[in-house]
Amino acid sequence: MWSIIREAFDKTLLVAKAYGILHITNSYLCTVALAYGPSMIPTINLTGDLILAERISPRIGKVGVGDIVIVRSPVVPRRVVTKRVVGMEGDQVTYLLDPHNSDEVHSIVVVPRGHVWIQGDNIYNSKDSRDFGPVPYALVEAKLLWRSFVRGASIPVCKFACDWSSGMCGRLKILVQCNTYQDRRGK
Amino acid sequence: MSFQPALQAPAATPISQPLARAPHPLRPIMKLLSYIKQWKSAARETIARASIAAQFLSLIHITDAYICSTTLVQGPSMLPTLNYSGDVVLIEHLSHRLGKLEPGDIVVVRSPVDPKKIVAKRIVGMEGDRVTYLTEPSYSESSRTVLVPKGHVWIQGDNVYASADSRYFGAVPYGLIQGRAFLRIGI
Repeated sequence: MWSIIREAFDKTLLVAKAYGILHITNSYLCTVALAYGPSMIPTINLTGDLILAERISPRIGKVGVGDIVIVRSPVVPRRVVTKRVVGMEGDQVTYLLDPHNSDEVHSIVVVPRGHVWIQGDNIYNSKDSRDFGPVPYALVEAKLLWRSFVRGASIPVCKFACDWSSGMCGRLKILVQCNTYQDRRGK
Repeated sequence: MSFQPALQAPAATPISQPLARAPHPLRPIMKLLSYIKQWKSAARETIARASIAAQFLSLIHITDAYICSTTLVQGPSMLPTLNYSGDVVLIEHLSHRLGKLEPGDIVVVRSPVDPKKIVAKRIVGMEGDRVTYLTEPSYSESSRTVLVPKGHVWIQGDNVYASADSRYFGAVPYGLIQGRAFLRIGI
């Protein structure tokens, strides 16, 4: 009987070790994530794209304007969002207050010290720094490295998001401001 | 057919000197392979020891990052609770992940102004609370009331006269909280 217990213990230990290695790689090296939602169209698909994000760059301070980053949401702490960095600390950011209704209203913001200004590529349907203000740099968790070529991995949860957003998509004018940022299409 | 005398016998090779052989073309590679064979067992043992060390370090790291860790906290902002010249404090990392933080807890937070710095302060208000604070405690009695936004907490040092806290940089997003201090080991 003791041999069974010992074998169970050994197997559990093996699983724990494997999980530990996986977890450390995931938290400190690079992580795989599924990014979905309408806020980064056309860069990231509505129904989901598999992305590879690395966690080393934010720690050594190599995040800059134009990078797509994974950021912990300042409004809902359990949620993690994918947006593009538009301004670092000290930058002046210009953005449209109400892109649906007018083109002329701009607002200029100086990003405070220790913060970044993030915006979704699809400014018509994105909750980003235009809503919740500049985000402290320490909330930036990972920088996008690669996006899968197979677009639109659909999972059941995304179907709901797709149905809800399809009403919005009909009114979209996708005005891509990619001439000012590097366009990080999957390598 | 005349019998031709045999050609002169070739010069006898001296018996003491063996015939010179052409060097084997693969000799350096064979030498390398023999070295590798010698060091193979040593390499195997090194890898085994290194993997034990790596597992031990990752176990320590996972405990340190997710369960309990110790920090040296110094500075005047938490007098008289924490010493000016440094106190060793035990920090647990479970409460903030489970959402069990309350006003009155001393938390360790990544500074929104300087992402490399970690500060220890007390939570005064959670999201949705109204916090009243003295704007200039050294000079006047004037106070201000603020509503803590969603997903943020209001932190203040116990020593309001010498503390850079939410009265200076505003409410802090919940995602910046690293842990809760629960035990002080005074030096």
